[in-house]
Amino acid sequence: MRHVPRLRASVVAAVVVLTMPATAEAYIGPGAGFAFAGSLAVLVGAFALALGTILLWPFSWLIRTIRVGNPYKNALTRRVIVIGLDGMDPGITLRFMREGRLPNLKKLAETGVFRPLSTSNPSMSPVAWSTFATGVDPSRHGIYDFITRDPCTYAPMLSSTDIKNAERVLNIGKYVIPLEKPKIKLLQKSQAFWKTLGDKHIPSIIQRVPITFPPVPFRGILLSGMCVPDLRGSQGTFSYFSTANRDGHAAFTGGEQTVLRRKGNVIRSRIVGPDNGMVKGGGRMTLAFTLTLRPDGAHVAIDGGESFDLTLAAYTPWIHLSFRAAPGVNVAGIARFYLQSVDPEVSLYMTPIHIDPEAPAMPISHPAVYSVYLAKRFGAFATLGLAEDTWALNERVIDEAAFLDQAMAFCDEREKMFFDAIEHTREGLVTTVFDTTDRVQHMFYRYLDPTHPANRDKECTAFADAIQRVYTHMDGILGKTLAAVGPDATVIVMSDHGFTNFRRGVNLNTWLYEQGYLSLKDGHTLSGEWFEHLDWSRTRAFSLGLTGMFINRKGREASGIVAEGEEYRSLVKELCARLEALVDPESGDRAVRKARAAFECFDGPYRLDAPDILVGYEGGFRNSWACATGSVTATIFEDNTKSWSGDHCVDPDIVPGVFFCNRPIKLEDPHIADIPFSILSLFGHVPPRHMQGRMIFEPGGGGSVSGVVDASRLPQSGSAPGARIQPERSP
Amino acid sequence: MALFNQLTTALFDVLLAPLGHGRPWFDLALWPVLGGIAALLVIKAVSNQGGITRAKGLIQVHLLEVVLFRDDLRTVFPATAKALGYNLRYLAYNVVPMLVMIVPMTTILVQLVSHYAYAPLRVGDSVTMIVELDDTVGGVTPAEVTLDLPDGVVLEAPPVRTADGTIAWRLSTTKAGDHVLRVRAGASVEDKLLSVGGPARKVSVLRTKGWEALLYPSESVPVAGSPIASLSILNRRDAPLGPFPVGESGILAWFFGASLLAGFLLKDRFGVVL
Repeated sequence: MRHVPRLRASVVAAVVVLTMPATAEAYIGPGAGFAFAGSLAVLVGAFALALGTILLWPFSWLIRTIRVGNPYKNALTRRVIVIGLDGMDPGITLRFMREGRLPNLKKLAETGVFRPLSTSNPSMSPVAWSTFATGVDPSRHGIYDFITRDPCTYAPMLSSTDIKNAERVLNIGKYVIPLEKPKIKLLQKSQAFWKTLGDKHIPSIIQRVPITFPPVPFRGILLSGMCVPDLRGSQGTFSYFSTANRDGHAAFTGGEQTVLRRKGNVIRSRIVGPDNGMVKGGGRMTLAFTLTLRPDGAHVAIDGGESFDLTLAAYTPWIHLSFRAAPGVNVAGIARFYLQSVDPEVSLYMTPIHIDPEAPAMPISHPAVYSVYLAKRFGAFATLGLAEDTWALNERVIDEAAFLDQAMAFCDEREKMFFDAIEHTREGLVTTVFDTTDRVQHMFYRYLDPTHPANRDKECTAFADAIQRVYTHMDGILGKTLAAVGPDATVIVMSDHGFTNFRRGVNLNTWLYEQGYLSLKDGHTLSGEWFEHLDWSRTRAFSLGLTGMFINRKGREASGIVAEGEEYRSLVKELCARLEALVDPESGDRAVRKARAAFECFDGPYRLDAPDILVGYEGGFRNSWACATGSVTATIFEDNTKSWSGDHCVDPDIVPGVFFCNRPIKLEDPHIADIPFSILSLFGHVPPRHMQGRMIFEPGGGGSVSGVVDASRLPQSGSAPGARIQPERSP
Repeated sequence: MALFNQLTTALFDVLLAPLGHGRPWFDLALWPVLGGIAALLVIKAVSNQGGITRAKGLIQVHLLEVVLFRDDLRTVFPATAKALGYNLRYLAYNVVPMLVMIVPMTTILVQLVSHYAYAPLRVGDSVTMIVELDDTVGGVTPAEVTLDLPDGVVLEAPPVRTADGTIAWRLSTTKAGDHVLRVRAGASVEDKLLSVGGPARKVSVLRTKGWEALLYPSESVPVAGSPIASLSILNRRDAPLGPFPVGESGILAWFFGASLLAGFLLKDRFGVVL
């Protein structure tokens, strides 16, 4: 409102100028030039775009009609909205629903259906969402975990994406000028169902579905989700600036510490950015900044960049960080800052540096301008795949309040994008995945279990309702969605898996070592990360990642010793049997509910990439943190004392996701692979033959399966306290 | 007006042509850059930078909307209309700084034109001198208007006098120099400078009472009660400006383009949103 007088003055002034003699106008010079040059470009651009669009539209319509006729000819619905709530658990949902905290989900279930949704094996987001995207099992889409091992080196590698620097470069002095783009390749195989929809000229907007980086071009719009790296190329590296050298750490898991030196109220330091690939031996690019302290906050001035204020215990908006790689070449990122204290010690947290959606250093959307459009429309937003900084809370660099603030802020960003997608999709598909449910359950599950080992030395009451708040928030989004789309659209709310407790970590590498299946080099009884001291010539099996155990197979692994055929199969069966007999000596509980041989589960073309054994833990257990990174530790079992206290990397049977829809279905046991199959069918198109799902809707509408699932049908698991939160059980 | 012209001319006679009029490139390169910087400072100071940023952003949003959702005409039409609407708002935000800049920018341009647009006529060139009478003063008929020629300028043909108060003399130059052509209209006397031959220098082509005097400030404005409204030389010779476009319109176009370019190149350094 304060700009109105200025605007009025501008309008009056415009009239004055337009009535001036023509010769004088010619003399006005740059003042007019800046305004008119820009405006003229917009005028010409807008008219050209509109004209081009209008002129091309009949041809586009004709081509579409010739190719596919009316794409909605056999459709049961013309609009499908999928709200993906990562990790939403059916048991917890039912409990909150009964408590009256989820009125919109309840309404949706009562008019349609709510059932558990069987998930993929392993029951992990990258795997399950890949199955959702492609409609096939992991042996057909090739994603089994976040990471896998390089069979040539045993080194860890991302399962989803392969990023290689440009090979063709021009060397000029100290500069290395790339002559081609870096090669970024999505390793997920098969084909996303929205590609099939696009081929049929049914539009879709896909937002934040995991394992969509880099985006694969198709006739539609997509914003990449989980596995988009940060600007440094990692899956999220936070920065912690402090005058205290906390625990003597040079680095945290998932982050780095910079020790600050205070001179009065002024501190100089640097933000560490990405590697400078354009300068030989360039190292990491940095941005120097000055931190000026005040009793109630601070001020940050980045050299050659933004200046902004910091308030105690509050996030800044997104701050643009521009790293100079070479003259005229800048790499753009964004980050948010959170000042924790200024006295007696200064503590400042900075989120990982996200790729700036307005000037993306890597492709994060299709078309590329989509992220630019969203950023200009709603402001900068989190682009990192695992945006909510769970590691910062795990390492206690930030507290629960800061984490929750961050997670909800990111959720709000996605909500805006989601409703924008709905507004622009009168016909077709909108799919948006909200990660908040998953991340908050991972980090706040301990509040549901008073005896959780992670509660030791931590606050245990203030955020007891965090999970419920997030579920309720999501229910609110559903309410707004139902109001926005009306009754004709098909609305699906689904999750990729459920949740369970993570009280005890199991180091399978240690177990394998103790059982004689894994050998260490002479003189070692322990191993550091990534199989530091393993003797591959005497190792038959090893574990990496969150649910997989690999056999060191001849012909597949570089130093494989287990022969294919009978030796391999009998070893797998032997290990499966022994794993299922593994008992936690502390409680006497079985740790593994089901160990499955990959050769019995998978028959797709990428089955050889699978871990040879899929370890399905009981609730309460999971691979320990050290096991996931290929370490051998002193004990097999250990308490999980990290804030990351809930998990789902267990037997998939005990962590189904949720499936809600505003129309009944015909199957009592829907599976996540059924969803893409059914969406294609809803739009009246025959799913490709490679898809493995089933049609869950009755072609004529209606369906025998409706209403809210009976609690007795929810899976039971484990006897450890809090192994599963049942709807009828108080936390 | 007369005072303004005197002051600005005095100022720019000092500022311009430090290397002489034979080297116009210096001023023609320097002043558009200074003009662009001045424009940036003015825009930063008086414009609503937040409003400009928002308007630009919204224009981009709606243009991108057209690009992204081009198959849906129900999106394309409103998005185009919105882009054009925000374009008007963007224009409006730029009007205030533009008004603030009119006087200084015009002054710089006028002075550049005065100094560099025209070259002295060559010895032997024919030239037409035009005098227009001021019909608001009256008292003098065209027949009563005479011209005194200095040494070096000769009359080629008798003057032509029209009923609407215009008198034209066709002259020829015979000698280099800055000749003063004296016009008598009744009791009133006005002079007009005619530059012929010699080195590059400031050349005046028009002396007038009207608002255009602001654009041609080299010579003084005829006195208020004078029956003569303007004295002009029709035959003008564009000064050679090396790689720069020549003539009044050439300098205008160059200044416009170069200052614009300088402004766009330097906007980030000055923290200005255009």
